[in-house]
Amino acid sequence: MNWRGELNKYLASTYKNWIISKRNVFTLFELFFWPIMGLLTIGLLTRFLNVSSNTVSFLLVGSIALAILQTSQMDVAYVLLFDMWSKSIKNTFIAPIKSYHLVFGALLFGIVRGTFVFGILVVVSNRLFGFDFLAGGIAPVLIFLVGVYAMAAVIGITVCISILTFGQKADVAAWSLSGVVLLVSGIYYPVEVLPPALQALSRAIPLTYFLEYYRSVYISGPHNIVLGALLAALYLVVGLMMFAWSIERARRTGIMLRLSE
Amino acid sequence: MSEISVKAIGIFKGYKSFFGKNTEVLKDITLEIRSDEIFGILGPNGSGKTTLISIFSTLIYPEKGSLKILGLDSRTEKDAIRKQINISTAKPNFPWSLTVRENLKHYAMLYGMYGSELKKSVDEQIEAFELEEYRDIKFEDLSTGLKQRLSLAKAMLNRPRLIFLDEPTTGLDPEIAIKTRQLIRRIHRENEVSVILSTHYMPEAEMLCDRIAFLRHGQMVAQDTPQNLKNQLHLGERMILHYVGPVNIDELEHIPGVMRIKAEPGIAEIVIDRTAENVDRIIKLFAGASILNIDIIEPDLEDVFLELAR
Repeated sequence: MNWRGELNKYLASTYKNWIISKRNVFTLFELFFWPIMGLLTIGLLTRFLNVSSNTVSFLLVGSIALAILQTSQMDVAYVLLFDMWSKSIKNTFIAPIKSYHLVFGALLFGIVRGTFVFGILVVVSNRLFGFDFLAGGIAPVLIFLVGVYAMAAVIGITVCISILTFGQKADVAAWSLSGVVLLVSGIYYPVEVLPPALQALSRAIPLTYFLEYYRSVYISGPHNIVLGALLAALYLVVGLMMFAWSIERARRTGIMLRLSE
Repeated sequence: MSEISVKAIGIFKGYKSFFGKNTEVLKDITLEIRSDEIFGILGPNGSGKTTLISIFSTLIYPEKGSLKILGLDSRTEKDAIRKQINISTAKPNFPWSLTVRENLKHYAMLYGMYGSELKKSVDEQIEAFELEEYRDIKFEDLSTGLKQRLSLAKAMLNRPRLIFLDEPTTGLDPEIAIKTRQLIRRIHRENEVSVILSTHYMPEAEMLCDRIAFLRHGQMVAQDTPQNLKNQLHLGERMILHYVGPVNIDELEHIPGVMRIKAEPGIAEIVIDRTAENVDRIIKLFAGASILNIDIIEPDLEDVFLELAR
């Protein structure tokens, strides 16, 4: 098969997610309502608490990161969730595709949606709270976004693995995992305020390093972006291998059939 | 000489419960299916038909046994097999909010089709399955019959050499079911596609299938052509006599070749191993009465099914 055929195997999931999203009124909530509400809540809280401009940047970077993460990770998870909800998983997995076709195709759409959310929040945070997200230039923004999207892919893959391992009820994981990341990766506070055990856990999460890197644009402080990037790459590779293994396991155990019933 | 589509030897499949208890769903299935035939897998609900089709289509894996699909090993050459097969599932399901055309396009993309080849294949299937009028209708708004047609169209997208049809007419009204069967015949004949279908609708199997395998409790209890199965099982023929007047029905039991008797006033239904002699003896027993009508009905696949499912 030539490269165009191979490319279309990836784009199949992008295409499906795009069509479903554009016909789903819920998309408006995912792209506008929740991200803007989240940003407004945090922004207004900073005004009420009358915090320093450094703290405002700290919190708004976290709020924007969380909104992008939640939007993009859902798109990766949707690649299986949509099939599971419509009981059409059989039709997907009888085709000659691999786990990476599904993940990267869905992630591509997640990146488009995440970037859209990012654009909106940059404008809103600038207009309402005077926060210039692009103050450090384009390179730090791109590095930060790559980190957030890599984290979104890892969470989305974890949800897919849960579905194929535990069956239909595992879709709860889709709504819960980003909450765990919210707690331990220092979205709204420095990880130093966490208990030691959770601090160790936060050091194992790539997003922690990408947040520290981007915040260093506004508040000088240490960061280890290389370690964050290595961890993200490691988790992506391991996640894809685990996803491929969970597909094979679902074929062995018969979960693949039960998900279509 | 035709090729072998499926060669299965000693296939076993079981499902483990959470506590590790293994429930065997398929036991020691061995069969060979030629590429030039429509092969039927029959059996009552829960007999393992869908599991067997799912194993043949590489959707799930067997626990034990050797399986070759289109001459390729199902363990080591899965991708090569998947490129050349497709399936239409029982209760067809597709992403709800995609239209007929969008669904076909999405699945064609999953098979690595692109550009004009993709468009041509999608358009061809829409035309072949008479879906032109519904091409922009969302899946959730289609009738059951149209969903089934979409499922068959999807199964033909990658121009497969072998397709699996899992209960293709379940839930369809009779007219649509007849059309669907015609479509299946056409797919087999015109596209030279090997067809393996499961059904528990016996007339459908009799109408479509060159050969049949019967499953019961996960085991294959018979495998042959519909006619041979009927002959082998010595099911007898049903002789239905309508009469008026006195007849000693109990004496029928003593006539050689009589297998079963069901009698009501004026009607006797006798299952016999038919020979001219046996029929003559029965008629003679009715000599004291006036026979109004005699029907002799050959056994059908339904009778085979009932006998084998016993």
